Amino acid sequence: MFGSLKEKLKSWVKKVTSSEELVEIPKKEKSQKKRTLKKKKQISKQEKKSTEEVLKEIIKTEAEKPQKDVKQKFSFFSKKLTDEKFDELFEELEIILIQNNVSYEVVEKIKMSLGEKLIGKNLNGVDLEKELKNVIEEILIEPKDFVKEIKSTLEVKKPYVILFAGINGSGKTTTIAKVANLLKKNKLSVCLAAGDTFRAAAIQQLEQHAEKLKVPLIKKDYGSDSASVGFDAISYAKKHHVDVVLIDTAGRMQNKDSLMKEMEKIARVSKPDMRIFLGESITGNDATEQAKKFNDTINIDGIILSKADVDEKGGTALSVSYVTKKPILFLGVGQGYDDLEVFDKKKIIKGLGL
Amino acid sequence: MVLEKLGNAIKSSFTKISNAIFLDKKLVDGIIKDIQRALIEADVNVELVFQLSQKIKKVAFDENIKGIDKKEQLVKLIHDELEKILTSKKSSELKLSKKSSIVFLGLYGAGKTTTISKIGLYYAKRGRKVALLGLDTQRPAAMEQLEQQAKKANLVCFVDKKEKNPVKIYENYKKELEKYDLVLIDTAGRDSLKADLIKEIKTIDKKIKPDFRILVMPADIGQSAKKQAKDFQEALDIDGVIITRMDGTAKAGGALTACAETNAPVFFIGTGEHIHDIETFDAGFFIQRLLGMGDLNALLEKVRSATTEKQQKRIEQSLAEGKFTLMDLYQQLESMGSLGGMDKIMSMIPGLGNASKKLPANLMEKQEQKMKHFKAAISSMTQSEIENPEILEKQTSRIARIAKGSGSTTSEIRELLKQYKLMNDLLKSQSSLADGKVDQKMLQKMARKFKGKVRF
Repeated sequence: MFGSLKEKLKSWVKKVTSSEELVEIPKKEKSQKKRTLKKKKQISKQEKKSTEEVLKEIIKTEAEKPQKDVKQKFSFFSKKLTDEKFDELFEELEIILIQNNVSYEVVEKIKMSLGEKLIGKNLNGVDLEKELKNVIEEILIEPKDFVKEIKSTLEVKKPYVILFAGINGSGKTTTIAKVANLLKKNKLSVCLAAGDTFRAAAIQQLEQHAEKLKVPLIKKDYGSDSASVGFDAISYAKKHHVDVVLIDTAGRMQNKDSLMKEMEKIARVSKPDMRIFLGESITGNDATEQAKKFNDTINIDGIILSKADVDEKGGTALSVSYVTKKPILFLGVGQGYDDLEVFDKKKIIKGLGL
Repeated sequence: MVLEKLGNAIKSSFTKISNAIFLDKKLVDGIIKDIQRALIEADVNVELVFQLSQKIKKVAFDENIKGIDKKEQLVKLIHDELEKILTSKKSSELKLSKKSSIVFLGLYGAGKTTTISKIGLYYAKRGRKVALLGLDTQRPAAMEQLEQQAKKANLVCFVDKKEKNPVKIYENYKKELEKYDLVLIDTAGRDSLKADLIKEIKTIDKKIKPDFRILVMPADIGQSAKKQAKDFQEALDIDGVIITRMDGTAKAGGALTACAETNAPVFFIGTGEHIHDIETFDAGFFIQRLLGMGDLNALLEKVRSATTEKQQKRIEQSLAEGKFTLMDLYQQLESMGSLGGMDKIMSMIPGLGNASKKLPANLMEKQEQKMKHFKAAISSMTQSEIENPEILEKQTSRIARIAKGSGSTTSEIRELLKQYKLMNDLLKSQSSLADGKVDQKMLQKMARKFKGKVRF
């Protein structure tokens, strides 16, 4: 994850800084000299190019002239970054980000923030790496220590209830098993609620995990009310002094209103202490839509991105963090119970080479 | 609809192209930006998007292609390229022989098991004797899932919950499976980057020798779509793809372009979580709906007839001479009319039909009315007035006469004159541009003036 983005970002930063140096060289020369030089260039180009292109060129240079004059008046010795130049420079970064699965909406946000900071500034004094780092840092949110958070809440309230939601096939059940494993390792007792009463064998899937992990499972028949399964699990936990209840839910597409309403009901009934949205690292632009809708419906507290081992790009992390303003807690990085990685913001940013 | 936003962006650029008198840089850049944005938001591979932009630019700024030719070529280019990007050359019909076996593979959670039971039911209803075989020995309860779904669909299903070696399961059931026309085989989810998983599927494949290998891909997959499709293609030579989760808000551009690039047809799309939610995918029909036209020729015909060669030449001539009379304006209005009225233009382009609904109901009508009045007013003028509209400003009684004669108001005539003046100023500056004299201030002034005012 993020490996390829790192290299590309670095090379972009390098390119931009070197291109800045290049344009800075002629800036101190007298403008007259520059104009004659330009005219000469135009003549030689005129011979080769068609009339339309020449026209365009003239318009272009003419359009640039008044701006340059103004600029020279105000700051004769420094080169400031103009809107156009920034657009031009950013285009390359834009491609890099999109290639790495950052959604278009978020790319635009990065562009805006970076533009605000850079346009009109003297390029000499700007640390591009730092600015880019700041923008990305702003988007990613530092997660709290997951286990610590649970333990401190347990002092006042028991059981701690965690609800998992997400679209079909995003990896809810597998992730619940991983989280149960993590909690058990931290000496917390866990029980699972098989709230996915819709998908074929979803209950058996969680059951098999529960057997392997040796944790209790609360289940009902297929087709029964999902919210009641969560409720029963919490009652069971209260009776048996279980620390944490993990509630599985059926996958649902975020645009199915009735299913989202059901999700809202499950959340209302089980009153979870933490609501987690399960997203996939491989999802493209739709990731923002999914995260947004789930966040709107149940007001999520955190995100877990599954299949992070499949995707070496990692832009989805930026996308979902940006639209929900919620932290990413973990990354799912494989099929084993231990393949759950704490999302470390600093490590990710460091990994980007920033 | 799939890729609706993209469809709308493309349709509106087609309208922009066919209605434009001059394909200037700003217009082309705007069109490119619109298409780019729509494609990227639909997860289409970013390299392909920028390749397309380059191709559009190349044709749009090619001096050797003139006038209508250029418009036609642009429309054709965008049409053909999108068709190439989004659809595979191979037929998207799954041609099963009398006895067939299909292996389904794909990433974790892509929807393989769900899809298999849907496909099973689809073919069972069409008279095939279908059997499902579960070879996903890795995910907990995968076998149970297949079993339960088979039961729902009333299909025969072979699973083994204890055996961990998929090849052995296959061998155990081999004889039995021979009794069926169509055997659908479920495999464990795998990611194309893991060598051991790819090796495993290769051994399974060698043993079973299926007639078809189908990759199952979710619609919301992003820029990794291409790599996954390519890797699976290289490892196993897949015959086609089924795209799942098409009922969400994802635009499926990633999956579709990945299929086109690996030349794998899309056989089916999954459109919901219930067993009947599967549809065949007709690439040709899809692209037609997306681009919003019956066929390419129909659209080209419209572009062609909107501006005839003669008119174009006349306009170009007056442009070169720096002359522009009301007659020219009349011709422009006329050519707009020959497209068949604003609402007709809009309805001709599916997708835009919806857009026009969002406009105030009478806005279109008003615009049309205005144009009609303009035309009538010009018809009410004398020849000298048409060629020399300046005299109207000096002798205002003429305006009153024309208004009366054409059934419009004097303010409308004045508006017409204003439009004419704007047009004339523009042309004058264009011709002085051609002479190499350029008045930058004027140009900027013009740009400001024209912004949002004159649209043809």
